[in-house]
Amino acid sequence: MDSGIVPISGFQLALSVFLVVIAGAVSALLRLGLLKSLAWGTVRTFVQLTFIGYVLKYVFSENRLWLISLIIVLMCFIAARASVSRTPNVPHYPVVPAFWSLLASTVLVGFLVVRVIISPEPWYSARIVIPIFGMILGNSMNGIALSLDRLYGEAKARTGEVEGLLAFGATPWEAIRGCVREAVRAGMTPIINSLMVVGVVSLPGMMTGQILGGADPHEAVRYQIVVMLMIAAAVAIGCLLLVGFSYKKLFTPEGALKDEIFHSRRQGS
Amino acid sequence: MTMDMMKLLEINSLSYLTGNSRRITVSAVLEEGGVLNVRGPSGVGKTTLLRTLARLREPLEGTVLLKGKPWTGYPPVQWRRMVHYAAQKPVVFDGTVEENLRKPFELAAVKSDLEYNREKAYRLMEQLLLPRGMAEQDARTLSGGESSRMGLIRAVMVDPVILLLDEPLAALDNRAALAVLEFISAWLGEVPGRGVVLVSHAGETGGMPRLTTVELEPVEEGI
Repeated sequence: MDSGIVPISGFQLALSVFLVVIAGAVSALLRLGLLKSLAWGTVRTFVQLTFIGYVLKYVFSENRLWLISLIIVLMCFIAARASVSRTPNVPHYPVVPAFWSLLASTVLVGFLVVRVIISPEPWYSARIVIPIFGMILGNSMNGIALSLDRLYGEAKARTGEVEGLLAFGATPWEAIRGCVREAVRAGMTPIINSLMVVGVVSLPGMMTGQILGGADPHEAVRYQIVVMLMIAAAVAIGCLLLVGFSYKKLFTPEGALKDEIFHSRRQGS
Repeated sequence: MTMDMMKLLEINSLSYLTGNSRRITVSAVLEEGGVLNVRGPSGVGKTTLLRTLARLREPLEGTVLLKGKPWTGYPPVQWRRMVHYAAQKPVVFDGTVEENLRKPFELAAVKSDLEYNREKAYRLMEQLLLPRGMAEQDARTLSGGESSRMGLIRAVMVDPVILLLDEPLAALDNRAALAVLEFISAWLGEVPGRGVVLVSHAGETGGMPRLTTVELEPVEEGI
């Protein structure tokens, strides 16, 4: 049985540029005006990935806990910024709560996975920790963005209901509970959908990568199961934390809905 | 009894921004057992006044006294429980009419001092010409006038001190409107110390007890 990775030489890598030429030909033929972006994208792919290759090689060889921690914090910050930029319904950019939600959920779930489930020697092996945390973050980032956006979207759409409850003496939490539920549901839906179709409709990138890297498919599958479940856990925790941090921001200190929610209001004078 | 003891709600130079960013300043007094009728052309900020009085919006300046005590002396949740704003189109929750009437009793502030009373709900429904059988009806299938009356019953069920009613007669035919007016008068007379702030048009408030009127006028002062 074949095992081990089949290496790609520099010449072979250069050959792959031919694939971009095909894409470029399509662009030229249809006058899509994408040639420049395509060329720039190709250059960036080469430069960025080569650079990260060196970084990872250095981090893996050093394998120091402080360096790994620093990288994880940095990754969380970048992910937090990226996620809040995808929330058109949110009037501000809540980077700080997004960062803390991502950091807490990623560290909690990631630590459980590397320390208890995979438990390499030492447990903070960069080769394991960085890809695992990266996968958690990549998915949590989308989950929390969806749930935060939905929280504001629901509050806008259901202003009458929220305010109606407040008028009866509801606390902000009692008034917004229904919206929070929908928000967390929205954040978790993609990962639940993935759990349903994984292996049937889609072969996840991580598993494919391991198989290409020469791993036994059974091993790759086990890793993939752990990864799917840890993503589900991290997304749930991340959404809950961020929505928990954020719902109060919809209200004034007096516990009334803020004006910015009323923009879509139509009723009354 | 001094004059001050008769004042249930005192609005002192309360300034707020209307939906179209005009600044309105209101002073008015609601007497115990009485009705304060808020009038003015549409868009002048009548609804916003009610929402401000319910502390669902923040005012710019001014103060409101309830039984002589400034509103800031009451926690907002307690205030809204006592000074209840009933929107022109009441919020309709999923479920039957009765489930809608029961909904406020799920809130901690309500269920801590009050229990849902089904018989009372049925009695109030009949007073407002809604047949008992309607309690089992899906609330989303009610007509505008029916759901507005359901909203009024729900508001009364939680036993507020002051009802802030936004055009409660708007969607009603004459007979139902008359029933609502009688209902409001009866509610006011039932227990001393209650009051109603009512947004409505002239000619609709005939027979209301201790009626005072405040006329809102547009001010050409953009903010």
